[in-house]
Amino acid sequence: MNRVTTLVNSRKVAPWVFLAPFLILFIVFKVFPVVLAVLMSFQKIQGINTGVFNGTANYEALASNVRFGVALRNTTVYTIATLLVLIPIPLVIAVLLDSGRVVKATVFRTILFLPALTSLVVVGSVFRAVLTPTGLLNSALAQFGLQPQRWLEVADLAIPSLVLLAVWRWTGINIIYFNSGLVNISKEFYEAASIDGANPFQLFWHITLPLLRPTTLFVVILSIIGGFQVFVEPYILYPGGQSPGDGGLSLAYLIYRTAFNSFNLGSAAAMGVILALIIFILSLIQFRFFGAFQREG
Amino acid sequence: MSVTSQYSFATRAGVQIQRGGRSRLTTITITAIFIIIAFLFLVPLYWMVLSSVRPLGLIFTSGTNLLPNEATLDNYAKLFRTVPYVNWFANSIVQSVGFSVASVAICALGGFALAKYRFRGRNVIFLLILLSQMIPFYLLVIPLFVIIVKIGLVDTLIGAILPLAAHPIGIFFMRQYMLSIEDELLDAARVDGASEYRLFFSVVVPIIRPAIATLLVLFALEYWNNLLWPLIVFRSPDRMPLAVGLSTLVTQYFPSYDLVMAGSTLATLPIIVLFLFLRRQFMEGFGAMGTGMK
Repeated sequence: MNRVTTLVNSRKVAPWVFLAPFLILFIVFKVFPVVLAVLMSFQKIQGINTGVFNGTANYEALASNVRFGVALRNTTVYTIATLLVLIPIPLVIAVLLDSGRVVKATVFRTILFLPALTSLVVVGSVFRAVLTPTGLLNSALAQFGLQPQRWLEVADLAIPSLVLLAVWRWTGINIIYFNSGLVNISKEFYEAASIDGANPFQLFWHITLPLLRPTTLFVVILSIIGGFQVFVEPYILYPGGQSPGDGGLSLAYLIYRTAFNSFNLGSAAAMGVILALIIFILSLIQFRFFGAFQREG
Repeated sequence: MSVTSQYSFATRAGVQIQRGGRSRLTTITITAIFIIIAFLFLVPLYWMVLSSVRPLGLIFTSGTNLLPNEATLDNYAKLFRTVPYVNWFANSIVQSVGFSVASVAICALGGFALAKYRFRGRNVIFLLILLSQMIPFYLLVIPLFVIIVKIGLVDTLIGAILPLAAHPIGIFFMRQYMLSIEDELLDAARVDGASEYRLFFSVVVPIIRPAIATLLVLFALEYWNNLLWPLIVFRSPDRMPLAVGLSTLVTQYFPSYDLVMAGSTLATLPIIVLFLFLRRQFMEGFGAMGTGMK
């Protein structure tokens, strides 16, 4: 008995005891499901019990599935749009708030961060109300003499509406990410460059941007992973998640519908595998493009 | 202007502050722009609260009127009368706290092993955990659904919490934090006869208390706002957390916006109040996630 105690207490065994709870849950609820999902994607499944292998039939069916193509296109456009808006704008705002040029910068940082605290269900509900034909946004547009829009009723305005929601929800949090990158940049770089006569824009371009690269990489990858998984927003914005002309149909929403409304688990798993591959490949490209992480230490 | 004064006012962000009237004008202009931006960001939240105290008939007929007209608490009374809102709220608290405590505990334990021990397979395990962060939950959710149906965890707290508890970001965060603990400190405790487990609880835990607090707050918030997994786990209306309960109100073709706005307000205001008390934990916590280090 004593020997067991000594063994459990040894420095060889102790780390495994510490790691066991995490590792067991990680294997049962992460590793195993990934394997199961890949297997399911090659099966024809009725209900949750019976699965019959049917080769690549699920994938072949997706190739000719129009809605899958639409969802893939919408999700890609949405992700690119959020990247184009939600990287530069929060970056510039973070730099301005850090510049000493803004009175009460912390107050503004806090206010812009508030949306990050709200549930996407709440955000979606409020925006669904704000974007109705007689809602707040159209009323405000009318005040400025602008044309009211049928935001949630035409296919072409679905992605702009989703991006509008995303800007409100994520700007503040990206500012915080960029801000924590900014405070790690040594002031001396700016002082040295200023002596050499660099102007503020040159400082931003030649010092801030390059030194902020690890943070930018992190935010870009996070935005890609998040953008490709957009689900709650279209699910809440449209009744039953059904957008007019499938303009707001996202890949994650289609997976959810296919799995839990149509109970076609095999097809849903195949879509999930494709989604995972897209995210994986895009992340790898980012790592290559921006260079490796320099945060290990 | 002398070179000295110019560079001593150069700020980190790359914008130089120069003395004189032009610079004050710039400060005023930029601040004014920020006031407008802040106003635009506050409007949706304010409008939500405002609509929650408006009669249903006025929510969509008040145009851009941002003053409370005919303020009433009827929407709240109707909310408590027609849906199990108190249950949703209580469920959200129990599930968020349960998830947060369970997840932070196993992440702290696991993070300690990864940070302070050398053992075979450590780097492979760490790499796998990091890579798993890229796996979309929409891939996992299908087999996870099958698993919890088969082991009978549908509609249960355990079913809601356990599948999410092995949180890659949590263990990464804890590991990074614990890397800065000095090995000498641990060895000193070992010399004094502390077992590896005593060591963790009486030496390590006090040191990592700030990290524990930050992660508890972030994870509780994450669960409170999460929709997809509880949406799949919970079937009975009186077991649902707030996000799922609210989603059942709003996903209808003609949602009752009086209920939706009152329910949304009550789901959001406690978080904002809590945030104003724990602002540093929240914002520094998110910031730490951004740089990957404390």
